[in-house]
Amino acid sequence: MANNSKIKLTFNTREVEAPEGVTVLRAAELNDIYIPTLCSHKDLSPFGGCRLCIVEIEGMRGYPLSCSTIADDGMVVLTETEAIREIRTELVQLILSEHPSSCLICKEADECKPFTKTVRKSGVTTGCRYCPNDGQCELQDVVNYLGITELSYPVIYKEHEPERMDPFFDRDYNLCILCGRCIRMCQEVRGTSVLAFNFRGNKTRVGTAFGRNHIEAGCEFCGACINVCPTGALAEKASKWDGIPDGSVIATCPYCAIGCQLELFHKDGWFSKAVPVHDSEVNDGQACLKGRFCMGEVSHHFERARKPMARIDGYWKEQLWDEAIEKAAEKLKDLKPDEFAMLISPDCTNESLFTAQKFVRTVMQSNSIDSTARSSLGGGLPFWERMFQKPIKIQEIKKAKTILAIGLDTRFNFSIIGVEIRKAIKAGARLVTINSRRSNLAQYSHCWLQVEPATEGIMLDALVKSLFNNATDLKKELKLSGVKKEKLADALELLKGQDDLMVIVGPRIFSYTDNADLISSITELSKKDNVSIIPLYYGTNTRGAIDLGAFPEILPGAVFKGDEKTTKKLESAWKVKFPKDDGITIDKIQAGECRPKVLYLVGAVPFAQRPDCDYLIVQDIYEPDFDVDLYLPATSFLESSGTLVNMEGRVQDAPGVEKLPDSVMYGRARPDWWILSQIAKQLDVAGFDYESSDNVLDEISDLADGFPKSGRIHRKMDTLRVETVLPETVPVSAKPRKKSGFLLVMQPGGYSYRGVDITSKVEGLQILNPEEGFHLNSEDAKELGITEGEKLIVTAGDKSGTACARIEDEIPKGAIYLFKPLAFGGLKDRCDLEQLFRLETNPCPVEVKKVGV
Amino acid sequence: MVVKTAASVLEKFSTRRENLIPMLQKVQEVEGFISPESIKLISDKLRISENEIYGVSTFYAQFRFTPPGEHSIYVCMGTACHVKGGQQILNMLEYELGIKEGQTTEDGRFDLNRVACLGCCALAPVIKIDDKIYSQMSVLKLMDVLEKYTQSVEVTDE
Ligand code: SF4
Ligand code: SF4
Ligand code: SF4
Ligand code: FES
Ligand code: FES
Repeated sequence: MANNSKIKLTFNTREVEAPEGVTVLRAAELNDIYIPTLCSHKDLSPFGGCRLCIVEIEGMRGYPLSCSTIADDGMVVLTETEAIREIRTELVQLILSEHPSSCLICKEADECKPFTKTVRKSGVTTGCRYCPNDGQCELQDVVNYLGITELSYPVIYKEHEPERMDPFFDRDYNLCILCGRCIRMCQEVRGTSVLAFNFRGNKTRVGTAFGRNHIEAGCEFCGACINVCPTGALAEKASKWDGIPDGSVIATCPYCAIGCQLELFHKDGWFSKAVPVHDSEVNDGQACLKGRFCMGEVSHHFERARKPMARIDGYWKEQLWDEAIEKAAEKLKDLKPDEFAMLISPDCTNESLFTAQKFVRTVMQSNSIDSTARSSLGGGLPFWERMFQKPIKIQEIKKAKTILAIGLDTRFNFSIIGVEIRKAIKAGARLVTINSRRSNLAQYSHCWLQVEPATEGIMLDALVKSLFNNATDLKKELKLSGVKKEKLADALELLKGQDDLMVIVGPRIFSYTDNADLISSITELSKKDNVSIIPLYYGTNTRGAIDLGAFPEILPGAVFKGDEKTTKKLESAWKVKFPKDDGITIDKIQAGECRPKVLYLVGAVPFAQRPDCDYLIVQDIYEPDFDVDLYLPATSFLESSGTLVNMEGRVQDAPGVEKLPDSVMYGRARPDWWILSQIAKQLDVAGFDYESSDNVLDEISDLADGFPKSGRIHRKMDTLRVETVLPETVPVSAKPRKKSGFLLVMQPGGYSYRGVDITSKVEGLQILNPEEGFHLNSEDAKELGITEGEKLIVTAGDKSGTACARIEDEIPKGAIYLFKPLAFGGLKDRCDLEQLFRLETNPCPVEVKKVGV
Repeated sequence: MVVKTAASVLEKFSTRRENLIPMLQKVQEVEGFISPESIKLISDKLRISENEIYGVSTFYAQFRFTPPGEHSIYVCMGTACHVKGGQQILNMLEYELGIKEGQTTEDGRFDLNRVACLGCCALAPVIKIDDKIYSQMSVLKLMDVLEKYTQSVEVTDE
C-alpha cells in the first residue's frame, strides 16, 4: 500500500500502531500479537476458511474474522476472550476429527518427542510418524496454544492414497485441512494453477485435473506450495525426516544468474533444506526447482570427490594437501606462456575467479585464462558487455504493459521470470511469444508466433523492422520463419503504439550458428529508450567473470586488455610486468588449434573425453569421467563463502552453511582461491597471502569499481561499471539452409554446475530428465516406427550419434531437439553424442533412423 | 447433418472467463460428457489452466467426466429416499456394476448417477433408468430390474 499514514488501535489492553489499510490480523502480527490462523497468509488473498482468527471488536456484532476485516482507527479488539477460546477449541476439534492427531493429543506426547528422531531403519517404531516432525506444523502450534488434550468427536480417516510418485515432494492429503493456501499460492502468486479444489462437500480434496500426476499437470516443482502448507500434507522428500533445524543462513542460489536469496537450514552441521527468503528483492519469496530442491544432493552425493589425488607411476593415489600443492607447483614451474592454459567455470565465486586470473597473469605470466561462459555467450563478449550496460531489472517485469518473450520456456529454468511474466499478465499486460516449440508460456500468450526452428531471430528482426522502421515488405522473413501474414499482423497489433516494451530473450537461442539477425535486432532494440531487455544466459556468475577479467581479452574492472591506465594500475598493485600474449581460449582448445602442455581446469569440464595435453589438473567437486593427472578437491557452495554477481549486477553474498572439520568422512576440500594461493606461495610469488575470502574481496574492491568491501555487501541493485572498449564483432549470417529430412536443433543444457551436469546427481531431476535424448514430435515418431525410450541414430555426413527418443508434442514436426550440456561430468550417456555436438552448423540437416533397422 | 463436436461448439464463444460454465454445459450437451480433450480446448481458449477448469467443473454435480453408458441409472438421494435406504441401493449398484457413482461400466452399458429428488417421494426409494422410474426398490427388486437391462436391449412396459 502506497499510503504511509498510520492508525492507532487497541489489542486487548495494548495500544498499538499499524499502517492504514491492513487487516486486523496483519496489524496484530506486525505488533507481535498472536492470533491463531490456519488459512490466511500474508502473500495470499484472504480465504476465511478456518475461522480460527475470530476476534471480538467493540461495536461489531458476533465474531468477525480478523483476516478479512480491515483495521480502523480507534478499534478495540479482543483476541482472547473465554467465548472465543471455546469456539476455537470446538473448531480445532472438528479439524482434528478429520486429521490424524495422535501425535498432537497423545498422553505420551511429551515423553515421546525427544525419541522420535532415531535411526530410521532400526525396525522399532518410535513415535507416530504421520508427518514430518520438523517443527513447521502450524496445526501443532494452534493445538498447543489452545491446550487441547482430548477430542470429543469421532475420528474419521479420509483414506486417500498418499501421493509419492512425483519427484521432490510427497503429498498426503489425509493430513490436509483444506485451508487452500497451496492452491492460492499456485494460482495467485506462481500463476501456474496446478492445484484446485476438486469435488465438493465432504469429498472435497486438493488435486490436479483428472488426478494426473504433477509432472503431467504442468507443475514447476518450485515448492512454493510446501512452504505455505500449515500441516505435513505437503513435504519435501529429502529433508522431511531431518527434524527441527538447528539454524539457518541467508545465501545466494548458486545455480543461475537470477541469484535468488535462499535461507539454508542446517541440522547437525549438515545442510538440510533451502527455502526462498520471504521478502527478498530479487526473487520476491520464490525459487525454482534447482535452488529449492537440488542443493543437498549435488553437494552430498556419494560420488563427491573430497580428497586430493594424483597419478603416480600409473597408480591413482590419495595425497596430502602439501604433497598435492608441491606436485602442482612443480608441473607449473618454468612453463612458457603458450604452454599453459586455465579454464574456469562461471559458477565460481568472485573471489575464486579473481584469484584464478591473478594467478595466471602473475604466476604464469600469461593471459591464458578463459571462462567456459564463453561457450554460452552466443553473439560474443562485446555484445554481452553492451547488454550489461543497460539496467536489467527482474522486478520491473511485473510492471510491464507489453512483453515480448523470445525462445523462452520457464518451467524448469529461470522460473522466477515466468512468475513475474504471469504477474504482469494478471495486471493486464499483453504477452507475445516467439518460439519454435510450445513453451510453458504458450498457455498465457496473447499471440504465439510459432516459427521454424532456429528462426526466432529472423522473426524478431521482422518485428523490429516493422515496429520501428515501418517496413512492410517482409515476405522473405515470413517465408523463412514459416509464420502466416495474419499472425504477424496480430502480434504487431498487440505491440504497436505501446509506450513501453519488455523484451525477454531465452538462453537457448543464442547458440545457433546463424544468430546474426537475433544479435543485430536485440542491439537495435537496446538503443531504444522505452525498451527494456532481459537477456538470459547460463552460467551463474558470468557477469562476475566478465567484471573480474576471467577472459584473455578482459582485465579486472571489465576493461579491454589494451587499456593503458588499468594495466598500469594492476602492474603497480601486483608488482609485476603485465603479460602481453593473446592467451589461449576454450574455442582454440576445443578445436584442437592449441595444445597446452599443462591444462588446469577449475570447475570446468567442457569435454567428454580427456583433452589433449601432457599434464591435466582438475580442481572440482567431482572427478571427471576421464583420466586426470592431478585432482584437487574444491569446496561446494555449501562449504565455503564468497560472493556472486547476478544478472542485474548485484553483488550478493553466498556464505556456506557447512563448516565441517577435515576427516575421513567429510574429506579435505578447499575453496578454489585457497588452493590457487597455496600453489602461488609454493612458487614464491608474492601477493597471495589471503586468509579468507573476505581478504580477496577487499582486494577486488580496490581494483574493480562497483565491488563492495567485505562486510558491506548490501544486496542492493548495483550497476557495475562496464566499459565497452571491446571491439565490436560483426556477426556473420550463414546462407539459408536447404531442408531435407530432419533438422537437428542443438540447444545448450541448463543444468550444469561447475564441472557436472546436476541431473546426474539429483534423483528428482533424473525423473523429470528434461534434457536427455532426442526430442521429437509424436507424428514423426509414428512415421519412424519408434516409441518413447527406443534408440535412434542420427547421422550428418560422417558424424553420427545414438540416444533414446523422447516423444513430446511441444516439438514441431520435422525437427529433432538435442541438448548439449555445458559440462559433461556425470553424463556418461551423452558422451556418445560428442560427434554431433561438434557439428559445424546448428541447426543441421540430418538423417534419422531407428537403431537396428 | 453436420456432427457437432466440442471444438465446433466452442468456436462460437469469446475468450472471456465468464464463459467457462456455459462452455462446459455446451460441451456436455453435444458430447454427453467433459473429456480431457475438451478441457484442453477450453483451457487454450480462455487461458485458464486445465486443473482450474477441472476443479470448477467437479464442483457442479451436473458435469460428468466419462462417456455416458447405453443406459443411465439415477439413484435418488433425496430426503425421503435417503430415509428409506437410498444409500444401500446405491451401494448395491456400485458393487454390482463395479463402478462408483459418476462413472461408466467398462462395457459401456451403464452409467451410474445420484440425483436429489425425483419428485415421487411417496414411492421411495426410487431409481430411474433412462426415462423409466422404478419405485419402492429393494435389493431383490433391483437385481430383477438390472437383469432385464443386461439381457435385452429393448425394455418394454410390462
Ligand atoms: S510446486 Fe509450485 S507449481 Fe507445483 S503445485 Fe506447488 S506451487 Fe504449484
Ligand atoms: S495441502 Fe496443505 S496447504 Fe494445501 S489445502 Fe491442504 S493443508 Fe492447506
Ligand atoms: S531461479 Fe536461478 S537463482 Fe533462483 S532458485 Fe532457480 S536456479 Fe536458483
Ligand atoms: S485465518 Fe481467518 S479464516 Fe482462516
Ligand atoms: S426423495 Fe426420492 S423421489 Fe423425492
